[in-house]
Amino acid sequence: MAKYLIKRFLYMIFVFFIVSILMFAITKSVPGDPALKMVNQQLASTDPARYQIALEEARQSLGLDQPLPIQYVKWMANTLSGNFGFSLQYRRPVIEVVGTPMFNTVALNLCSLILVFAITIPLGIISAVKKRSAFDQAVQVGSIIGYSLPTFVIALLFIYLFALKIQIFPISGSATPGTDYTGLQRVGDYLYHMALPLLVSTFCSLGGILRYVRAAMIDALREDYIRTARAKGLREKVVIYSHAFRNALIPIVTIITSWFVSIFGGSVVIESIFLWNGLGNTILTALRNLDSALYLAMMMFYVIITLIGNLLMDIAYCIADPRVKLQ
Amino acid sequence: MSKNEKRKSSLLLTIRRLFGIREKETDLLKEEQMQSPFRTMVRNFVTNKVAMFGMIVFLLIFGTVFIGSAIYPLDVNQQDTTQQNISPGFNMLSIPSALKDNAQDVAVGSTFAVGVDRDGKLYQWGKLTEKLQKMPDADKTYVQVSAGLNHALALTDEGKVVTWGNDRLGLANIPFEVKDATDIKQIAAGYQVSFVVTESGDVYYWGNPNALTISIPEELQGTVDKLVLNLTTAFVLTKDGRVVMLSNSATPFANIPEEIQGTVVDIAANDRAVAAVTSDGQVHVWGTNDYGLFEVPEAAQGKAASISGGRFHFTVITQDGTVVSWGNDLYGQSSAPELQNVVSTDSGYFQSYAIDEDGHLTGWGLKGYLFGTDQYGRDVALRMLAGGRMTMTIGAIAVIISTIIGVIIGGISGYYGGWLDNLLMRFTEIVMSLPFMPLAIVLSAIVGNRLSEVGRISMIMVILGLLSWPSLARLVRAQILSAREQEYVTAAKAMGIREFTLIFRHILPNVITVVIVNTTLAFASCLLTESSLSFLGFGVVEPSPTWGNMLNSAQNSDVIADMWWRWVFPSIALSLAVVSINLIGDGMRDAIDPKSNER
Repeated sequence: MAKYLIKRFLYMIFVFFIVSILMFAITKSVPGDPALKMVNQQLASTDPARYQIALEEARQSLGLDQPLPIQYVKWMANTLSGNFGFSLQYRRPVIEVVGTPMFNTVALNLCSLILVFAITIPLGIISAVKKRSAFDQAVQVGSIIGYSLPTFVIALLFIYLFALKIQIFPISGSATPGTDYTGLQRVGDYLYHMALPLLVSTFCSLGGILRYVRAAMIDALREDYIRTARAKGLREKVVIYSHAFRNALIPIVTIITSWFVSIFGGSVVIESIFLWNGLGNTILTALRNLDSALYLAMMMFYVIITLIGNLLMDIAYCIADPRVKLQ
Repeated sequence: MSKNEKRKSSLLLTIRRLFGIREKETDLLKEEQMQSPFRTMVRNFVTNKVAMFGMIVFLLIFGTVFIGSAIYPLDVNQQDTTQQNISPGFNMLSIPSALKDNAQDVAVGSTFAVGVDRDGKLYQWGKLTEKLQKMPDADKTYVQVSAGLNHALALTDEGKVVTWGNDRLGLANIPFEVKDATDIKQIAAGYQVSFVVTESGDVYYWGNPNALTISIPEELQGTVDKLVLNLTTAFVLTKDGRVVMLSNSATPFANIPEEIQGTVVDIAANDRAVAAVTSDGQVHVWGTNDYGLFEVPEAAQGKAASISGGRFHFTVITQDGTVVSWGNDLYGQSSAPELQNVVSTDSGYFQSYAIDEDGHLTGWGLKGYLFGTDQYGRDVALRMLAGGRMTMTIGAIAVIISTIIGVIIGGISGYYGGWLDNLLMRFTEIVMSLPFMPLAIVLSAIVGNRLSEVGRISMIMVILGLLSWPSLARLVRAQILSAREQEYVTAAKAMGIREFTLIFRHILPNVITVVIVNTTLAFASCLLTESSLSFLGFGVVEPSPTWGNMLNSAQNSDVIADMWWRWVFPSIALSLAVVSINLIGDGMRDAIDPKSNER
């Protein structure tokens, strides 16, 4: 196990560097000169000579005058030492910029994760136990529809229903504008604004997870030990919840790790529709404003999250099912 | 059997074996026992009602989108400011039955029409805004009506002018001269402006001064007989048969032919050209020669009595009382019916109406829009057809790219194994660890800005294809790995069968079903990804439509609440398509997997 982990970790570092070179190359091919944003554009018409000098200075301060490999090495060294660069759009270090969005995204997705599992696990178990019943068929079709509907369609529909027709939730944002709440009131206002994006994000994940839980449960119910348990004369409740569900949890636990990525990454679509100041929205605005330091840092963050997620998934498999051997 | 035939039949046999189709019919019992896996799958699939329902729905959508967009091609750059945000429905030509045989005057507005019957009662129909619905006093007797973009005018028998509809931009402020006047001859409502011509030949106007730049020369007052206007300017016909343009611009409208001055009996203006009828029945057209406006039909030339103009068409009443229309025929507004004894017509925007001497009112042209129009006045239904074709094409090509890459990489990796397998699988993992959505957005933002429209669309297909193959590659590899260890492959190898035959005849048939299922499900997710990208503005961009970017403009509460047709129809189409494809894919998976069949 330890040997595997070390090997796996080394491999992750290798992948990280490959991907970072790729990302860096992509970012460098973005049209537009970030130095232009640092220089007063009026200077170009009034004093072209000084404008050129200012531009050169800006390029030098951003390190743009050096060849690409050196730029890459410098950037990598900075990144590894925790300096993720300077966001041109916010005029603050990247690490400061992503703090609030990270909190918002994690809050939204964690709540959604809890809600989704609270709904899907009981529903999945019932529909697996009552396999082929009318209820099961309805759940099956409903879950296919649920995971097929595009996120933005559900978002538009929910805005129409719950923010415009029945005005119970605010349309967007993460705080009521013009108010200055403190303490509990502020938390309440925050949760109130989170309700609609939370509802949409939960609704969108229900279908997929529900199918997964149901399939895992059906597989577990087909095992020989279930037949043994029933033959022993155990009550059906014990058979289902104690014997079958515990074993069905193995694959379910492993998909939670695949959620790891989305908990931190956030959904670009949901966050941009509800103007939720999360990481997905941050990367969108960074791209629209060509804030290269910010989105490069964000992309690398996503890569690390994905790699860690994959590792966690492997370990979770190993822990959950001792038959799996990691090599 | 000749050698050639033999080869042909062995090729056919290979294909048949690939899908397990047997030529010889055996007896019933054997048939049942010997049913090939492929036949079992087909039977399983066909008996699955949900999957078949998905299949039918998908085929319907697919057929509608591809056949429909071929029959009704979309001009992506076509826009119309006068037709913005119109709700769905075909009531624009639904003349009220009380008016139908008793009409005195009719006027066409952008999306509605106003009429007055011989008893002086007002009627209006079509797409009416809230303000338009507040009709003026029903007690009064009206004699003349006129309609503009979103307001209307009516003249009472006492010579008073009333206005309703849009009241902004000074449209509600009727000047004192008009209020005091008792001899009003003509009223004309246009784009945010209203005009009045009196019997004494004076012209008054009010409304938005910036909509039309009008200057009425002092010497013209007192000589005006008739006034016509379009969206940019206005023309008057003087009592001595001359045509004068009311603005001093150098547009093609200003090229009034000199030889007709003094002999003109009627004029009409549309938004491309102006036409004048001279006393000898000739029609003279000047301006811009779009939609064949300069080619006056034989039936009208030399026989014209009066004329009226819409947005891009003209309608003429001939001296023997028939009507002739020509110009833009997008909505049939230039396909005039055969009418007799017509005494007056009114054309406006995309419609024409004619009244004969018995008061029968007939209309032709734009009836309405099936799914309404969007913020640029574009037909949502037409854009949905073209957008659906675009969405499906992008999805299909992306899936084909990803399937080819996935099968090749997975196949090589699984079949040859060893260091090649290791290398390819590490590469697959690298691609898998790329964050899909952010990377797709970054790539399309970076590369897309430099490309033409077609280039951008193909780039999105390639991005989707290049990022979505790893899961398929892993699946194919696993399938081939398990197939490679099967006894029949070992047996085939022991018999010394060529590698090529081994792969294509023995291993591939066992993998192909999985690939087909995976491709179907991947098609659905490609549709979703493309739509999400386009929705965010990083996929296919305007003016080319896709179902995703049609919803892009629906991201504000006014549109969601009040212009539901702009987001509901594309949403339904996209959802139906994805749901039906997933149902098909799911049914296929159940059909090939005997284990899941037990569930």
